[in-house]
Amino acid sequence: MTDSLTHRRGDTFGLWHASARLSDRVRRLRDEYFAFRERDHFRNEVMPFGTGSSWDRVFCPHNWTVVPEMVPFLVGYEDTLAVCAKPVAFDEQLYNRPLPLRRAEFFASVIERHLPVQILDGELIVGGQFNTALSLTLTRDETADYDHQEQAFLAQLKELDHLGVGNCGAIPGHLIPNYAKVVRLGLRGIVDEIEPLIEARPDDVEGNALRCGLIRVARAARRFARRYSAEADRLAGETRDTMRRGELLEISRILQKVPWEPAETFHEAVQSLWIVHMLIMAAESYPGPGLSPGRVDQYLYPFYRSDIEAGRLTQARARELIHCWWIKHNYAYDYQGRVGNNQGINSSFGQLITLGGIDADGNDASNPLTWLMLDAIGELNLLEPKPNVRLHRNTPPDLLRKVVELVARAQGSPFLLNFDEHSMEGLAWQGLPRELLWDYAPVGCLENTLQGNDRSGTVDVNLNLAKAVELVLFNGRDQATGRQIGPKTGDPATFADFDAFAAAFGVQLDHLVDWIIDVNNRADAIRARFAPTPFLSLLVDGCAESGKDITAGGAEVNLLTVEGVGLATAVDSLLAVRDAVYERERVTMADLVGAIEANFEGHEKLRRMLAGKCPKYGNDDDRADAIARDVSRHWTERTRRHVSPTGKRYRGGYLSWNYWVAYAPKTSATPDGRKRGTYLSNGTCPVTGCDHQGPTANTRSTGKLGLETAPNGDSHTITLSPSLLRDDEHLDKLAGFLRGYTTEGGTALQINVIDPETLRAAQADPAAYRNLLVRVTGYNAYFVTLGKEIQDEIIARVSHGA
Amino acid sequence: MTEPTGILFNIQRFSTEDGPGIRTTVFFKGCPLTCPWCHNPEGMECQAQTVWQASLCMGCGECVEACAEGAIQATDQGISIDRMRCRRCGRCVDRCPGGALELVGREVTLTELLDEVRRDEVFYASSGGGVTLSGGEPLMQAAFAIPFARRCREAGLHVALDTSGFASVDRMAEALACVDLVLFDLKHIDPDEHQRITGVPLDVVLANLDRVVDAALPVWVRTPVIPGYTDDVDNLRGIARLLRERVPTLERYDLLAFSNLCTGKYAMLDRPFALAGEALFDAERMESLCEAVRAEGIDVVRWSGPTRSALSEGSLA
Repeated sequence: MTDSLTHRRGDTFGLWHASARLSDRVRRLRDEYFAFRERDHFRNEVMPFGTGSSWDRVFCPHNWTVVPEMVPFLVGYEDTLAVCAKPVAFDEQLYNRPLPLRRAEFFASVIERHLPVQILDGELIVGGQFNTALSLTLTRDETADYDHQEQAFLAQLKELDHLGVGNCGAIPGHLIPNYAKVVRLGLRGIVDEIEPLIEARPDDVEGNALRCGLIRVARAARRFARRYSAEADRLAGETRDTMRRGELLEISRILQKVPWEPAETFHEAVQSLWIVHMLIMAAESYPGPGLSPGRVDQYLYPFYRSDIEAGRLTQARARELIHCWWIKHNYAYDYQGRVGNNQGINSSFGQLITLGGIDADGNDASNPLTWLMLDAIGELNLLEPKPNVRLHRNTPPDLLRKVVELVARAQGSPFLLNFDEHSMEGLAWQGLPRELLWDYAPVGCLENTLQGNDRSGTVDVNLNLAKAVELVLFNGRDQATGRQIGPKTGDPATFADFDAFAAAFGVQLDHLVDWIIDVNNRADAIRARFAPTPFLSLLVDGCAESGKDITAGGAEVNLLTVEGVGLATAVDSLLAVRDAVYERERVTMADLVGAIEANFEGHEKLRRMLAGKCPKYGNDDDRADAIARDVSRHWTERTRRHVSPTGKRYRGGYLSWNYWVAYAPKTSATPDGRKRGTYLSNGTCPVTGCDHQGPTANTRSTGKLGLETAPNGDSHTITLSPSLLRDDEHLDKLAGFLRGYTTEGGTALQINVIDPETLRAAQADPAAYRNLLVRVTGYNAYFVTLGKEIQDEIIARVSHGA
Repeated sequence: MTEPTGILFNIQRFSTEDGPGIRTTVFFKGCPLTCPWCHNPEGMECQAQTVWQASLCMGCGECVEACAEGAIQATDQGISIDRMRCRRCGRCVDRCPGGALELVGREVTLTELLDEVRRDEVFYASSGGGVTLSGGEPLMQAAFAIPFARRCREAGLHVALDTSGFASVDRMAEALACVDLVLFDLKHIDPDEHQRITGVPLDVVLANLDRVVDAALPVWVRTPVIPGYTDDVDNLRGIARLLRERVPTLERYDLLAFSNLCTGKYAMLDRPFALAGEALFDAERMESLCEAVRAEGIDVVRWSGPTRSALSEGSLA
């Protein structure tokens, strides 16, 4: 019994580490990845490639503008990358061709001749360096036009950011390419579909230019894979290890075949998938932002099953292949590895895999590969790929229980839990046909999309909802700058009742939605005009058919997403105004505005009353939650009215990334008793410390938001004390909670299981806690790499939760 | 007919320590026992109590002004409440901006309480949970607690009664007719000791334990393990023997390790806490007590509660 207790404690409370069951090969590869400083023989750091022209541009600021911390450095990145760019032979004649074709030609040259090819010792899945900066291949005149438009966009973006309204940009990734099709048909199969389109539409000159570009890059990818095949051959000739020689010859054989030909074995399918995934990262010049493999346990399962049935594959070998494949994803971070700790939250790219969920008939779709992959997640203890499990009403109890055990074992951090019924309801609201929805999967952190045909532009626009409260209080003025940035909705002291206040809030919110979307439309148009990505377009359904690059709206599903930040801060502010000013008359509006103007300096009594004695969102209080629902539906419905110049409809979501920190100093004090600088609320979470009724009440408040109008998906995080997961009985309770969440909660949930002592210890001694993963706003991060502010916020949340 | 009302000091949702599954635990005020270790001292008195929490106090003096009875004074040690004068009107609580003053104990109607506990119905169903009546001693408010339990049962909710076992036998029988599970406290096996430390006679408690067995209800017996009071291994052996002989419906026997988390609550209530400064047990001690109980043939024993090492709260499946 004592043994069992010790064991249990070790499992439940010990820090999550890589499993002792990892094979020597995998352990070595994993350690090699973490050896950032020592690993001189291989680095996946950014490699710029240019045309050599004096006006060449190899970096797109609009790709990075949702990372406001980077904005001051964009010029530096642009210049240094341009200076370092390796020239690639580029035929002057190409400048006469349409841009998508030019870009295709350039990308093809890079991967056929320049992108380094390197195989690490022992690895079974190959394809190493993919971090690029690629020339836009613009003419001198186009460059002038591009620069002009980009600068105009940047000026507006900086203003939005400076004022704390939000940020936006045309962000790469954040989609699931049609990997399922690549493994099934090969790139050849995709080319076979494009060629007849060209023949059938001889007059579609522009479309056919793109289609020719798609074929060009598909063939280049084949040549690129064969460069790896040749490298494997070379290494096979050099090695004295007969076992390794056999592996290298097999790798060589596989890369002669895939991704061009259909995969026929599990190993071939995984290799085909990885090489294509890696080339998309290279094509978009951005290492893995939300470029997500999707439902890997579904589309890889036929290969796994037939190999196992035929006796070609053992489970142990399959496990090792999965490990080798997944380690590769982590190299997206390689360029940060040597910079040191405190990378801030940018240390998470989010190549999200999805396991479980339902099939086309609504039945549970889990299979033996689902289980194998769940094991692999627990064993590897790595940041990427980020795992998501789709749960639904009929998730088998043993699978749910397995997920709960992993959550408990790994401090909760590795998992996003996505809830099918509510997620699908949102996608239906957004206008997608119901019969397609069963096969959805999230990308990046938690953003729901369809697979293979959907570019939903998640995190392209991030809006600070709490800013609208400030604008109502100051009649449309930004408090810090004194500038009139919103409509004049009147002096709030003259408002007759709460309805008048709420109406003014709605007007300000509409203005902010319209404004930020207007700025983002510029970024969307710039990318469509100047930065087509033919290799990605090849892999997303609709582009070849429509003859439009994915950046120009060629995908079958085209959306742009506005992510709401600070929902609960805004809601609690409205609640405090209703309660303290209009219902209990504890303070006049004029005095409240005065106190906020003074950032509550000298008004601590009032501030404490507002913070402690007014209703708060997140407590299953129907009257409070109704306001939250109104706010949520108001801005998301406003958002949905907008369509970008490239035909992409806007939709809402709640992924606050780290903006609840970034915009805190740029938002005035708020009527909920928050001072300027105190963090805004995160995702759909209540304001930290304001949910007093526990996780079921918090969950029901989330459910009442009516989140179908925010179909992107909604970040809801709860923190549980480890004592709650201390034995089988309590793990069953958590499983019961998740089952209940399916009907009562929102679209997605993350659970942190951690005690404040561990976090404080990690803060004090980062080296000893390097692999402590936590989940923040929908993405995993190594705790010790987070900035101190965010670390402190997590500790505050955990302390409250415990 | 006026609806019955009860006085509660807490309604805790997502309660995971008071019976199976996810539960809502309703804490009733008032208890006939006087156990010096009580970890819910706010459940001892029947009436609401005004309490003051130093850490939340801004020292603004609003409460002194608000009190019409002159029951509140600002002193060098903070706010002092004259409990003889306090009429529990809540005016000071309402005025206090920081939330330092609180009225522990609120009156609820049956309908209000039922609405509240039904909010988590879905989670009860998905986890095998339900509602637990706890306190205090819920049967001190039998006229409210029993109809409430009945209404919960009628609504299809699983009901657990967490009781000290001290009530009239008739009242207990009435209550047992509308619950699904009993969490039954048994603190000491020696009648004199029991009388001395809890203030009530053991024979009434044991007679009620027999009623639970007669009603064929599953029962989880619980013994708080308190240094100097109940932690003698012979006491636990004696209880174990009694359980073996007299309680065939025993499902679990829980040893609850002494907790000092309630120290602050005693201070707020102006009550002395006899065990202030008493050390927690270590896990090995709790484990060895479990062993002793097992040796008497009670295999369903487990322990929980805080122990000396912060991360070692544990129990055995």
